[in-house]
Amino acid sequence: MIHLLDCKVLSNDEVAPGHRRLVLDGKAIAEDTCAGQFCMLESSPGLQPFLRRPMSIERFGGDSFSVLYKIVGEGTRLLGRIQPGDTVNVQGPLGNGFSIPKEFKRYILVGGGIGIAPLPGLAQALIRETGTPPEVILAARSRDILLCQEDFTRMNCPVFLVTDDGSAGMHGFASNALEARKPDKNTLVYTCGPMIMMGAVHRICMENGSRCQASLEANMACGDGVCMGCVVETTLQEEFRRMVRVCHEGPVFDSRDIRWNTGTPAHD
Amino acid sequence: MTEPSLHINLGGLAMKNPVTVASGTFGYGSEYGHYFDVSLLGAVTVKSLSLKPRPGNRPPRISETPAGMLNAIGLQNVGIDVYLKEKLPYLREKNCTIIANIYGYSPEEYAELAQRLEKEGGADALEANLSCPNVHDAKNTCGPALVAQSPQRVKEYTETIRAATSLPLYIKLSPNVADIREPALAAQEGGADAVALINTLLGMNIDVETRKPCLSNIVGGLSGPAIRPVAVKMVWDAARVLNIPVLGMGGIYTADDAIQFLLAGATAVAVGCASFRRPDAALQVIRGMRDYCIRHGIEDIQKLTGALRLQ
Ligand SMILES: Cc1cc2nc3c(=O)[nH]c(=O)nc-3n(C[C@H](O)[C@H](O)[C@H](O)COP(=O)(O)OP(=O)(O)OC[C@H]3O[C@@H](n4cnc5c(N)ncnc54)[C@H](O)[C@@H]3O)c2cc1C
Ligand SMILES: Cc1cc2nc3c(=O)[nH]c(=O)nc-3n(C[C@H](O)[C@H](O)[C@H](O)COP(=O)(O)O)c2cc1C
Ligand code: FES
Repeated sequence: MIHLLDCKVLSNDEVAPGHRRLVLDGKAIAEDTCAGQFCMLESSPGLQPFLRRPMSIERFGGDSFSVLYKIVGEGTRLLGRIQPGDTVNVQGPLGNGFSIPKEFKRYILVGGGIGIAPLPGLAQALIRETGTPPEVILAARSRDILLCQEDFTRMNCPVFLVTDDGSAGMHGFASNALEARKPDKNTLVYTCGPMIMMGAVHRICMENGSRCQASLEANMACGDGVCMGCVVETTLQEEFRRMVRVCHEGPVFDSRDIRWNTGTPAHD
Repeated sequence: MTEPSLHINLGGLAMKNPVTVASGTFGYGSEYGHYFDVSLLGAVTVKSLSLKPRPGNRPPRISETPAGMLNAIGLQNVGIDVYLKEKLPYLREKNCTIIANIYGYSPEEYAELAQRLEKEGGADALEANLSCPNVHDAKNTCGPALVAQSPQRVKEYTETIRAATSLPLYIKLSPNVADIREPALAAQEGGADAVALINTLLGMNIDVETRKPCLSNIVGGLSGPAIRPVAVKMVWDAARVLNIPVLGMGGIYTADDAIQFLLAGATAVAVGCASFRRPDAALQVIRGMRDYCIRHGIEDIQKLTGALRLQ
């Protein structure tokens, strides 16, 4: 069920340069969330910014939930100023999270940058459903912004680090690290991060016969399936499924359904 | 004080309060059902319906702007068949008053949509969208891009739709004109029961880092609190020359915003993209309007229409 709540801020601490974790009091949302779902936060009570901000729900359960965010613009900058004791209006949980089919032998999570946010919750769900901690590839530009590493090691997940600048783990991209893990047809890969990274992860999966679930991003206005603003193009043939809403049919999709290179001709 | 009467009549449609929602910002009603009882609205206005489903424009389709947003959705909608079969039952079951917004590529398409909606009980009133900035009129190769920019064509379209239906008919107009009174009067002459204004204002947003437009369509329609003063002024202009009522919209977020539209001459109002920010915005507007009436000793909200004090 979707809630619209004024949530009390429990903490809003910096976790890495330019990155914070906002912990909110909100039992109803915490209880109803599945891994991979998101919420729409008001970054300010006023009209500027006008739209809510979509954020993955990172930790949930009990009386509180959290979002892990990167400061990129006005909205996230305002979020960064929120103090414990303030309230934030939250709409959620929204969208369809990750699904966990049991027929796979290996599960690999690939998170890039802030895209790591929904993955600790997914690892927890995978352990609950399959009994085995999934392998985790953590990718970032450099070592100081590799997030959530301890969350995964605490769950006994094998963690593989990869950085663009080689400051920690493998020097390269997430897709290189995935290739090195040799995924096969019994592997299900879950990925969240920049579109370009997820496109590369998708290609490695297709080359190796693996399946892949990707959590996408898009500009959103309503976050709840109403405005038709957040669509992505699919490879599906039926006319009406050519455009799907990231907020409603997603944010998690089977990567085969997504048109990764959007250089296709415009239509109307 | 006794409970104020919020009832109004919008060109032959009785509404229990003057608040509806703007087409395209409330889906087909059921989407907001988990936030509040949508039958509390004076009416639910549904997303523009076309004869065939439309996939809409390529992404990105929305871009945030100061106190508002640009959109270039391109009228992605399920089409009239799916609406009648899958969306309408919810609205009827909830006993909602329904304004169906329609979009066609020719006067005949509008007429066909109107006829079908009337025959199949799909609407209590019709709002013809002659003003969507995000789609192209296939048959119009010269002259203004929007029907609503040509008073002559507004009149022709209105006459054709009028002849096809006895439902209350509203004509939705564009603010992208030099003088809103001209298309408004043309709609009245064509037989409209009310005019609805404003649709979005054409606008553009550019990402300076990439030097690319923020929307795939390059330009889009501006909505939200940023456009409210423009909308109020257009309602004021139109209402003074019309004999038919005005359904006012554009940037309404609070009850005070809505009252401004009534004072400027609107009979009813629509809450648009404010619902994206606050899913229960329209309900809060209704409550706030009632409180305003109590605070000002107004027994009948209809008394506020055009009640602007000039001195
Ligand atoms: C389903 C989903 C889950 C997300 N989860 C997280 C998360 O857990 N942590 C996190 O840090 N970020 C997350 N994002 C991205 C986050 O929403 C944006 O970083 C944020 O909206 C930026 O707002 P801003 O005002 O700081 O930036 P600005 O660039 O000033 O924002 C301008 C506009 O663009 C939109 N926008 C900008 N970047 C993005 C983006 N990457 N995705 C979608 N909209 C964007 C904003 O919402 C706003 O409407 C998620 C996005 C989606 C769609
Ligand atoms: C995302 C979006 C979709 C819209 N779709 C339609 C539509 O299908 N038909 C229509 O007549 N108007 C459409 N509109 C215009 C609104 O109905 C309204 O006229 C406009 O947004 C101004 O009101 P607001 O500022 O309160 O949103 C749309 C507006 C938005 C923001
Ligand atoms: S954000 Fe409105 S439909 Fe997805």
